[in-house]
Amino acid sequence: MYDPYSVLGVSRNATEEEIKKAYKTLSRKYHPDANINNPNKDQAEEKFKEIQAAYQQIMKERTSGFGGAGNYGYSGSYGSNSYGNGSSSDGYGNQGYGGFGYGPFGGYGGFGQSQETGYEENTYIRAAGNYIRNGYYREARTTLDNMGEARRDARWYYYSAIAHSGLGNNVAALEHAKRAAAMEPDNMSYRSLVQQFESGGSWYEQRQAAYGYPSFGSGNLCMKLCLVNMICNLCCCGSGGCCGLGAPGIYY
Amino acid sequence: MFGYIIINKAEMKFKEFDVYHSYYCGICRDLKRKYGTSGQISLSYDMTFLAILLTGLYEPETNVGSCKCIAHPFENHETRNNIFTEYAADMNALFAYYKCRDDWEDEKKLWKLIYGRILEGKTGKQLQVYSEKLRKISLYMQDFSEAEQSENADIDTLAGLFGKVMAEIVTPREDEWSENLRTLGFFLGKFIYLCDAYEDVEKDIKKGTFNPLKRRYESPDFEEECKTILMMMMSECCREFEKLPILENVEILRNILYSGVWCRYEAVHEKRMEKLQGAVSAESVSENE
Repeated sequence: MYDPYSVLGVSRNATEEEIKKAYKTLSRKYHPDANINNPNKDQAEEKFKEIQAAYQQIMKERTSGFGGAGNYGYSGSYGSNSYGNGSSSDGYGNQGYGGFGYGPFGGYGGFGQSQETGYEENTYIRAAGNYIRNGYYREARTTLDNMGEARRDARWYYYSAIAHSGLGNNVAALEHAKRAAAMEPDNMSYRSLVQQFESGGSWYEQRQAAYGYPSFGSGNLCMKLCLVNMICNLCCCGSGGCCGLGAPGIYY
Repeated sequence: MFGYIIINKAEMKFKEFDVYHSYYCGICRDLKRKYGTSGQISLSYDMTFLAILLTGLYEPETNVGSCKCIAHPFENHETRNNIFTEYAADMNALFAYYKCRDDWEDEKKLWKLIYGRILEGKTGKQLQVYSEKLRKISLYMQDFSEAEQSENADIDTLAGLFGKVMAEIVTPREDEWSENLRTLGFFLGKFIYLCDAYEDVEKDIKKGTFNPLKRRYESPDFEEECKTILMMMMSECCREFEKLPILENVEILRNILYSGVWCRYEAVHEKRMEKLQGAVSAESVSENE
């Protein structure tokens, strides 16, 4: 079985930092730029692609694991829809690691179960569902938007939330997910979608704890610094007020 | 529109701050070299983040130098320069130009127009180097100001257009990382745009100028909603960040992404809450009388 960890030569329990180190070391060796004069540069490039794919896969799995949330495939659709061919033309990349069971929609744990509602009577909503399952968020969006207000039920909001999310519209995505959940409170997949969107925030907050959230008591240092920073931006590049701590501004 | 992507200095080690500052000085020097003093004036901290981010990702050859400044003429301090401090300087100049144009359209302030023109000539030189990028950015900027003028209050659309601009700015080349960087930049841009809207919402209501948060402002949950939305943006941004193989100066970058970006939000929030409390207590006093 394919094991991306063995490609990088690290154990499955390796920390993120260890993985990144291993990746850096290998990519320095095999990067096409480092092998321009290498007679075996084609092999090096193959190896590089393999390393790249393994690394991307590991990081994708790990970051989508955070907080139990799935990765809702934003980058996939973003790359191909919003940016035309620009960002998918990087040769290695998309195809390289697209097929590891982490399709744009792979992260939606709840989605498979959501089909329990069975056959969808409405042709439009069924089409929207199909588009979403295949990562065509823009098309799903158009289909959904063409349905009149009167036909917008919980399922509509559910699909709409996913389509919005896929297109990077995360504000609307959360709103619509909440709406779907409010319309049908008993539906597990609607509720878990809301949770999934919100869990991104809690993942972030967890990490944030290590870096200290700026707090502003009266006369707090950070706030003063903020203000100083703002003022200093206006009056040239000096960080005047920050100089007190041994880092003078520059006015040369 | 900028000044949000900064460090939380209270939580930063001195050593890290020195490195951070050396990149800031590096960009400043590049700005002066390429765009003269007028370019230098426009330098913002946000671009320091960009330079450190790209340096960490690509690890280019970096020159460590030192310089003296007028404020402290006897003290030497470090500067760091590489291809990405130059890139950050270019993007800074470009943004300064757009900011001027943007404000001109918004507020029609003459001096800013002049300032904008000065920079316009200078950014023109970049057109060949980054023509494709600039073309994209200018298209998005156009869409952006049209959307603002149409009073289209859809937050995702407006913030998204700004996000697309940022996506281009943080992506200096097309390679194996451009997709991650674009997504990172996209959500960072959305965050910046919404922070700016959050900060200006009261002013815009008073002046009758456009603000995408106006409608929400009336809601009793306004503060909470804003925080949730901003948090969502940063968590998406950081999710991409954590995927990048960055080891060098990663603590500085995390200080910015997890803490520093909230400094200005928190300053505004705190002030607003104080004002609100002041108003409430004034009300209760008058009721007692």
